[in-house]
Amino acid sequence: MMHLLKIEWLKIKNYKAFLFISLFFLIGIFATNYIVYSVFHNIVNKSDAALLLSNFNPYDFEHVWQTVSYTSGYLLMLPSLLLIILVTNEYTFRTNRQNIIDGSSREEYANVKMMMALIVAATSTLFVVLTALAFAYSSEKDFSITGFSHVGYFFLKALSYNIIAIFISTLIKRTGFAIGIFFIYMGAENIIAQFLDVLSMKLKSSKNIDFGSLGDYLPMNSSDGLLSFPPTPLKSFTTSSLPTEYTWIVLGFAIFYLVLFSWLSRRLIIKKDL
Amino acid sequence: MNVLSINNISKNYGKVTALQNVSFSVPRGSVFGILGPNGSGKTTLLGIIMDVLKATGGTYKLFDENPDNQLRKRIGTLLETPNFYHYLSAVQNLKITAGIKQRGENDIERVLEIVSLTNRKNSTFSTYSLGMKQRLAIAAALLGDPEVLVLDEPTNGLDPVGIAEIRELIKLLASQGKTIIMASHMLDEVEKVCSHVAILKYGELITFGNVDEIFINDDIVEVASSNIDQLKDALNLMPGNLKVEIKGNIVQITFPVGSANLENVNQFCFEKGIVLSQLQIRKKSLESKFMELTN
Repeated sequence: MMHLLKIEWLKIKNYKAFLFISLFFLIGIFATNYIVYSVFHNIVNKSDAALLLSNFNPYDFEHVWQTVSYTSGYLLMLPSLLLIILVTNEYTFRTNRQNIIDGSSREEYANVKMMMALIVAATSTLFVVLTALAFAYSSEKDFSITGFSHVGYFFLKALSYNIIAIFISTLIKRTGFAIGIFFIYMGAENIIAQFLDVLSMKLKSSKNIDFGSLGDYLPMNSSDGLLSFPPTPLKSFTTSSLPTEYTWIVLGFAIFYLVLFSWLSRRLIIKKDL
Repeated sequence: MNVLSINNISKNYGKVTALQNVSFSVPRGSVFGILGPNGSGKTTLLGIIMDVLKATGGTYKLFDENPDNQLRKRIGTLLETPNFYHYLSAVQNLKITAGIKQRGENDIERVLEIVSLTNRKNSTFSTYSLGMKQRLAIAAALLGDPEVLVLDEPTNGLDPVGIAEIRELIKLLASQGKTIIMASHMLDEVEKVCSHVAILKYGELITFGNVDEIFINDDIVEVASSNIDQLKDALNLMPGNLKVEIKGNIVQITFPVGSANLENVNQFCFEKGIVLSQLQIRKKSLESKFMELTN
């Protein structure tokens, strides 16, 4: 596998889009968190709401893992975009054919793309951890690992997005079209999720049926649903009307989709004409 | 030993049949031409052998073994179009090829020299002309000095000098004992370099074998005189049971290869009291033979 990854590295290390998107993503994570941090530090905590929030700082230890994971999650479309470009480039340049002709097996080719999704997700997660540490160490609270599971959820979300990106790329094959479908799907799923969430709330309030937020059981939303902003003291006012959060079920769905899309992508690469 | 043996390979695209029960084998050390008009299934066949297309039916073997990717690493292939990363240079692209083949990392300079791309080796692929892209694809096929080369229309997009160079290169490689499988619709290309040939038409194998056996070039003698019918009747009496046909205002006599003798023809007609106004020998062209086989 190492020599296959080395070949992937040769493909991307001089690719400007790779450098540009990576840089944009890394700066983006830091900048987005800095904005949220500034809002809390300079505006919320100096307003009347500060009393209600009782000095709640989302960037202190314990909360920081969840805050940075949740906030950074919004930027995960960038690494997905990068993977779409890298995978569809192979179709555009017909280098996927050439790689097989030159002696890669189709399985190796599929596996290394999956491995890329994993590495990109792991690198994104590593940067989230570093960002969280950088912010948290600027506060006075002592180091704590509590809440680190949210970093795991972030990793799962990153991996899910990446695998969906690879699936769409292997299915659509054209860069622009695949990017379009990815974002349209993302938007469409969010709209459907909103409807399902409203339905879930109605079911709970009118018939006392509580399946959790149904929208969380969709492919992208299942991994989104695991991440949320830390529960501020304000939030507790609203939770009573919300459906129960069945974390384990949502996690199960997220993993199920991950396996499903990995399997479908592999199948497309291994079985179809190139 | 056969480098490649194909057994009843078929390929359908929906209702369209691209290949139908094609079987033949390529002996080691041969320069094997796969000849056929556009759309006859040449590239499809090579695509199946290289595992980029899946056959609907049939099997094939590489080096007398069941095919796998390790065996493909021993073959240098240019299939259909030059496929490279547009944003990388020739050298960077060939490093990837060498990485996949797990051979030829130190061979990059040599192959670039062969295809005369050394002075542009650090330019990105996207800046190359069509001919240069083709040259790079040939360089990639040569990387690591493989024992077998599969070249699909290798002279595509090359200028006359380039075409001549590639022909010489193929002859040189063949003389070094390499097996070369070459698909082409260029008859003279096949005639000039190939030892064996398979002819495909609409996905069916018309014939295959030694080039000299398949393209037996009959000798055709063309004659004319003032009375063409009288001439034909007279020629029908010539010994050897020859084919005699009127074509416009001339008569064609087909002799077995190498047996036509103009003096004898002239003598024979003179003895029959016919004075010839035209007498010439014409080798049957490969082209007309090809037309005959594929039509």
